[in-house]
Parts: sequence; structure tokens; C-alpha cells
Amino acid sequence: MDPRIEAASNFLLQSPPGEINDVLNDVRSIISDDDLLKDGILPALREYNLAQFSVVDVPGADHQSIISEAARVPTLEGVEEDEQRFLDPRSKTSFVFNHIGLEASDPQSVEPDPDAEPFRHALETALLSYLSSHFLDGVGSVFATPGTPNHFVIQIVANKYNAPNYWSGRWRSEYVVDLNENQVTGRILVHVHYYEQGNVSIISLFSPHPSEKKLTVSFPFAFLSPRNQTIRAHQVQLATTHNLSLTLPPAVVTASAGAAASKILALIGEEEGTYQKSLNETYYEMGEKTFKGLRRALPMTRQKIDWDKVLGYKLGAELTSSKGVFGSA
Amino acid sequence: MADVVDSMLDLMRRLPPTRTEENVAALIGICPDYADDLLGSVDQPLQLKTDRATGKEYLACDYNRDGESYRSPWSNEYDPPLDDGTVPTPKLRKLEIVANEAFDTYREMYYEGGVSSVYLWELEDGGFAGVVLLKKIMSPATPYEPSGSWDSIHVFETAERGRQAHYKLTSTVMLQLVTRRGSDTQGSGAEKRSENKVDAKGAEGWKREGEVSLSGSMTRQTEQDWPLQDSSSHITNTGKMIEEMEIKMRNLLQEVYFGKTRDIVYDLRSVDDLEHARRQKELQKELVGFIKR
Repeated sequence: MDPRIEAASNFLLQSPPGEINDVLNDVRSIISDDDLLKDGILPALREYNLAQFSVVDVPGADHQSIISEAARVPTLEGVEEDEQRFLDPRSKTSFVFNHIGLEASDPQSVEPDPDAEPFRHALETALLSYLSSHFLDGVGSVFATPGTPNHFVIQIVANKYNAPNYWSGRWRSEYVVDLNENQVTGRILVHVHYYEQGNVSIISLFSPHPSEKKLTVSFPFAFLSPRNQTIRAHQVQLATTHNLSLTLPPAVVTASAGAAASKILALIGEEEGTYQKSLNETYYEMGEKTFKGLRRALPMTRQKIDWDKVLGYKLGAELTSSKGVFGSA
Repeated sequence: MADVVDSMLDLMRRLPPTRTEENVAALIGICPDYADDLLGSVDQPLQLKTDRATGKEYLACDYNRDGESYRSPWSNEYDPPLDDGTVPTPKLRKLEIVANEAFDTYREMYYEGGVSSVYLWELEDGGFAGVVLLKKIMSPATPYEPSGSWDSIHVFETAERGRQAHYKLTSTVMLQLVTRRGSDTQGSGAEKRSENKVDAKGAEGWKREGEVSLSGSMTRQTEQDWPLQDSSSHITNTGKMIEEMEIKMRNLLQEVYFGKTRDIVYDLRSVDDLEHARRQKELQKELVGFIKR
């Protein structure tokens, strides 16, 4: 693989929520070889879309569905990878997904597995009700695993992109419901990016290297403000992973499809709520233990440093030993 | 050229702060011509080095680098050794020694550990510039103890104007905080509580294991004039400015790291039942309508 493609792909896969186009624009300007990029980065975009649960408007339906490995329709022999089809089990439609334009085309109706469909549908109904109760902008899909009876995958994604206020966030969760083993295993992934624009375009610092007398540091994300020449910039990313597993209680396993599905989503919902609340505690702990442990707000004396004293002592010791000019202490 | 550097800096602002070193190396790999621009403008975590002469630890960054070697503030020696490495003039070196001692005291009082280094260099117009570096790492003794790191980079330049000196200070703090959690840890009350609750309902309970990581950086700049008595005034002046700046930035970091990112999570998912809230709202509307009739 061309090392430039390898680097570009690696950058794209690290894109914060909602910023893949910005990352792509940066990569285009850095590599400045669109022909090379056009073909080369497609695998990375495909991987990003599947891993990040990209959402797409389903043709002919008024809802969105999730692009993921579970949604992928196995590719037939002789069909090009570019023509990858994905399934929306809710509308029983498959479609070709364009990984660059993020659009669906060529919808075809799909006949669901008659054995799996009743329970899948029950899980979907329960999931949609859970989404409207706890997510402001959530999309969810439930897939029956082809070829494995009593095996379902529940996926949830919620995105908020607020570029004007410099933040974006993504909540992803996925649960594998295995009724053969009566097990639910899952994971919750949260990624938040918050940054601040500067308000000066260029600052210059002087370099200690004789070869580069003056070093210019530019802040491309800043705009020039004649009134205020002070730089203000920050970025912070929150990234969480949370892996879960649960053995289903007997009462759930023996219940009817509808009741069992509701109970499973109730357990998931309760756990997601617990996790969300536990983040508060993690934050508190990080603030109290780690943050304070790294740097105190004030010294033990609860006072700012008396620099004249610190220096008077240091300099006094230094100078008495050499010249004795200030050495009256 | 500026366009490419701008794009590189924009890219670095978007990619995860935890992977800055790896990503800078990748950019240099594909655009070696821009290595100096990148190394000079992207703040990277400070490297810890040990002074061969004194055994004391010091911090390495672009400001004490000459080629592949780094100068120690304690012995003034380059490692690997350089015969013609850039060093401050004897007068400035004297000030550098005192500044290192003073900021070492500052480090001990605020960081109670960690490492500090100060480097000074002459400017063409007769003034001088410097960088004050501070770093502290918290390494967990067990996997479930919180870990983190704090890196401060304060670059200043000064120009003397009679009995006054003008200072321009650019400060960057890089902060990383990581907490790992697991079902088998005894530390977390919330997890134990919630597990008991599920247990009480007859389920075997969720097994959990995860990580929360907050990482980022913040840059602020200030320009100030301070009185000048002798050359040592530069240390008291920059000392006060840096202390003030770190106090301000620590407060801002606390707000940004703990306040804002948490709010965004709550913008994604609501702990309270939104349907319930919606029904309440509708009921209220109906009641208002009913009363009006």
C-alpha cells in the first residue's frame, strides 16, 4: 500500500464524530493527489462507516437505519465490493450504500427469515419505544443473524453535531442477544469532541535554533480579530468503552416473545442509565483524585508563591558564593 | 506552503490528543519537508530524560533540541554529546540556572512531584526568550486506579524598556485523565449498588469492564509589562505571570473537561424518560386549554 494512503486511512479512522469531511479535506490538502486518494481511501471510509454505525435514510421509508457489519448483506460472487448492499430489517429493504456520499440507492424488498422474524420484530418494537424515551436523536436497528437461530443483534447510535458551538458527540451501543445460551453481551462507546476557536490567526514565537531564527506558528482554525490579539484555543476528547455481559433470568427466557423482548430492552435500558449515571461518579473521582493529584489549586500554605522570597534565597546563595555583593543575609 | 501547514494543524486539532506523537510522526513520514514546521508548532507531550552528569531528570522538547541531541538545564550538556551545540551566553546561563532552581521550588509547591526545566535563549534584537516546562505523571499501582498526566509548556519572550520589561507569554497545558472500571473492583459504590439492585430482582447481574479517558490541550496567551530592577526581576516577573496563568488555566480545564463533556453526553442520552416528559407537557397544554374554555 502507498504509505500516503496508509497514513490517510489511519487519520480518517480517527475522525471525531461528524468531522470526517473536515479530516478528509485536511488530508486532501496535505497529500494533494486526489487521484491517488479517490481509490485508495475507500476501504478506510467503508471501515469507518461500519464501525461508527453511520446512519442512512432508507429509500421509500421515513426512518433511518444503521450501516454496520451486522447490516451487511453477504456479497454474491462476481459482485464488486463497491456495490455493497445493506439491510434495513424494519422496512424489509436492502439497498446499495455509497460510502462517500452516504446515500442509499437501488432498494429491493427482502423476505425475512420466518422463524426469526416474530422475535426480531418484538425486539425492534421494544427498542423503538426505548429510543424515543431516552435518546433525543437516536437510531436503532435489530438484526436476526442469518444461519444462527435465536441470535439477534441490537444496535443503537445517537449523534449530535454542533459545529457552530464547536462540539460533537456520538453514543453507540450494541447488544448480542443469544437465546441459545440465554446471554446478552454488549458494549457502550461514547465519543465527545469539544474545542474552542482561537481569535488570532498567526502568532510568532522565536526559535532557539540558529538556523530558523523566527518560527511562525499559525492557528488555522482562528480568525483575525483586531480588537483582541489573545489566543484562546483548546480541544478535549472524551472516549469511553464499556463492555457488558448478562445471563438472562429464567423468567425472561420462558416469557412470550413480546414480554421477553420488552424485558430484555428494560434490562438494557436500566444498565445504560446506570452507566450514564456512573460517569458522574467517574468524573468526580477523576476531579478529586487525578486532577488534584496532578496539580494543586494552591500550595499547602494556601497562598500564592512569594517569588521575591524564593528568588532572594536562591539568588542570595548563588551570589554570596561568587561575589558577595548582596551577601548581607 | 502555509496551506499545507494549516491543514496539518487543523488535522492535529481534530485527531485524538492521546495519539498526537504517532500522528505527528505519520505526517512527517509522508511530508518530510514540513518536519520543522510541524515539530515547531504542534505541542507534543514532553519527554523525560536523565542528565548523565547529575543523574537528575529533565524535560526535552523542541526548545532544548539541537539536531538529535537535547541539552540538560542542570549540567548544560547535550545528550548525545555535541561539540558545537548551541548554549546560552555565560550571562544568560547564570540566569537560567537561577530560573531552574526557582521553578523547581514552584514545581514542588504545586505539583508535589514531577519534573521541571527552564531553557533561555538570546533573541536577535537583544532581548531574550525562554520556556518553562513542567510535567507530572500519575501511574496507577493497580489497573483500576486512575492515571493521568499534566504537561505545561510556557514560552515567553521579553523586551526591556528602561525600568520596565514587556512580556509575551504563550502557555499550553496538555492534560490526560484515564479511569478503568471493572465488576470485580471494590472501589465504586455506584456499581456495587446497582449490581445489588439487579441481584435483588433475581438476575445474575451485569458483568462490566470499561475505560473512561479525557484528554486534550489548552492554549492561552497574555502580554504584560512589569518593573525591572535587575536581571533577576525577569524570574520573579515570569514566575508571577506563569503562576497566575496556570491557576487560570487549571480552572478553565476543570470546566471544559468535567463540565462541558458531561453536558454533551446528556445531550445524547437522557436519564429521565423523555416520553413521560412529553406526556406531562401535553397534559399541561390540555389543562390550560380546558381552563381557558
